[in-house]
Amino acid sequence: MFKAILCRLIILWSAFVGCDARAQEVFQRLYINSGEYTAVDSAQFPFSAFNATPQFFPENVRISINAGETLKVRVVNNDSVNHAFQIKDKTTQVGIAPGDSILVTAVFDTGDEVFIYHDPMDYPRLTALGLAGLIHVKSNSNSTFYWNVKEFQKEWATQHALGNPVNWSDYYPDYFTINGRSNPNINNDAVARIVGGVGETLRVVIANTGQSIHSLHFHGYHAEIIYSSENSQHEGRSKDTFPIKPMESLILEIVPDKPGEYPVHDHNLVAVSAGGIYPNGMFLTMLIQ
Amino acid sequence: MRALLCILLICFGTTCLAQDPIQLIGRNTGKKLLSDGNEIRTFGFAQEIGENPGVPGPSLEVIEGDSVVIDFWNISQGAPHTIHLHGLDVDQQNDGVPHLSFEVHHMEHGFYRFKAPHPGTYLYHCHVVSSIHVQAGMFGLLIVRPAVGDNYTWEGGYNYWYESSLLMSEIDTNWHHDSVLLHDYDTNMSHHHVRIPKYKPQHFLINGLAEQQLDDLTIRGVNDGNLYLRLSNIGYFGNRIIFPSGLNARVIDSDGRPLPVEEVTDTLEILPGERYGVLAAPDSAFMDKVIVQYFNLNTGIVLNEQYVNVNIEDAAGIKESSKEVVRIYPNPATSSLTVEVGLQEAEIQIVDSQGRLILETSVTGSESFDIRNLPSGAYILSSRTALGIENHPFIKP
Repeated sequence: MFKAILCRLIILWSAFVGCDARAQEVFQRLYINSGEYTAVDSAQFPFSAFNATPQFFPENVRISINAGETLKVRVVNNDSVNHAFQIKDKTTQVGIAPGDSILVTAVFDTGDEVFIYHDPMDYPRLTALGLAGLIHVKSNSNSTFYWNVKEFQKEWATQHALGNPVNWSDYYPDYFTINGRSNPNINNDAVARIVGGVGETLRVVIANTGQSIHSLHFHGYHAEIIYSSENSQHEGRSKDTFPIKPMESLILEIVPDKPGEYPVHDHNLVAVSAGGIYPNGMFLTMLIQ
Repeated sequence: MRALLCILLICFGTTCLAQDPIQLIGRNTGKKLLSDGNEIRTFGFAQEIGENPGVPGPSLEVIEGDSVVIDFWNISQGAPHTIHLHGLDVDQQNDGVPHLSFEVHHMEHGFYRFKAPHPGTYLYHCHVVSSIHVQAGMFGLLIVRPAVGDNYTWEGGYNYWYESSLLMSEIDTNWHHDSVLLHDYDTNMSHHHVRIPKYKPQHFLINGLAEQQLDDLTIRGVNDGNLYLRLSNIGYFGNRIIFPSGLNARVIDSDGRPLPVEEVTDTLEILPGERYGVLAAPDSAFMDKVIVQYFNLNTGIVLNEQYVNVNIEDAAGIKESSKEVVRIYPNPATSSLTVEVGLQEAEIQIVDSQGRLILETSVTGSESFDIRNLPSGAYILSSRTALGIENHPFIKP
């Protein structure tokens, strides 16, 4: 009897102060792994990633939580050198020695936001080496697709891995990826390739974890900017081309009005290449039935 | 009987809506004179057989709601070409992407059909090995004018007196060698692997012009009327546009759609493939320049600046001559345009929708000008007499 009254009081108090007594905690384990990335043209270069297991995979974990949930991330440094972890605009930088781990806790109150987590140590060296992923704070159950947009300069990846400095004013990337893949392989990624129906509300969550500015052009449809991490005044704009700067994130919403297979690609047309070969870069198609 | 009437009405309605096809000719033998005096080979679009394909190609203008047909005739050996109607959200068949739509080979005609949807500024470009063909010059502006009238941004939008279009791009002359332009192409493959050189542009263009070539390009306006700027980027660098403060510029639309919240600014970034509409409302007469910066998308470093003249004139002169001194006809004008100035002597200028000076001369009495070689589009004839300045828009269909 006493316990029931206490519970009811807690619920009433929670409703009064605006928080959710049922708020969930989401646990995520991230391993910092290093390995080799094999590009679409079979070129190989060093790559590091935040993976869900101690086994290296050249793609960062995508974290998706609901608004109001608390994220607890255990980050394990599975590498042989020092690393750090930070959720940009959310947590402070914390160093992690080789073999050590840290626990980072963050509360995400607002839905329809995207955060980038990354290794900020010696920025942007380790982020450029691959160590950056996205956290999507959901507010609805719309079909959602995820693009971690990242470009690389192959010859520099070895320097990044060795800890050598590079002259960023000479940056000239030659590999352009979405979720670690280039054309035509991006279309094989069910998380990346937009597939839906006419009239369906489709969302695309995009994070630019590279160091270049990209300008993503959609054929066939305009999309509305639902969220922009750097330019909230752009929210609500209906466009077909979306600039995204380094460490910026966007949520776009598309409601297709006709069926078809339409490309989406970087309109910096140099970025539609890999190793100097067109069209192996940042290019995929969406399929509307 | 009723069925026959319906069929007749449908046929009549279709005839009313259909427009004459817009002719575009694809060529890969263009020549472009650069600001340093050197000439490069280009690919491009023309509207007449003997015409050198310009960079950019001709500006196409259609009216909101029109059923538009583009008759694309490819007269160029080598790789095929297409027309991608950038931003118009056309159906897949008319989207101009080779393996998803159709290619137009040498001496073939390809017909692109669409209904002009929203008033605004769009682009068209070839989508075959687009990295090379766009750099080669196969691009241009496509303007959808609102059904409510030429001098409106859109229905319920803004009225304006003057309009200028600036289309930014760059040229890397190393991409204009035959070894790059005349790439291999296998029509049977959905992905044609073509090597592209490193991109290090040396020329930074506005409407195909740079440096001293821009002396003839002027953004014109008056101090008590709106001026509408259509700004687009088809290059591989970012643009930062810096407006003179006297323009009182505000961004009102992008990619063919009004912005939900306008943005008052004197600086606007335009990334590749984007278009913006900027409404300027100058409140005084002045002469200045719009600065266009070109920044590297990988480094953020500004590599070049170009300047466009701005000439905002005092509207008082125009108001004083409320009784028009100058008369032009016919409008639209297909083959000749007659200018009547009565007893006055008038200095006249004709500028196109991109602000390029087409003709500058003086007229006394009445004179007819042969405009058969003038590309289709919107023009403004400005006249200056002792009684003031007048502006007469006219259309060459």
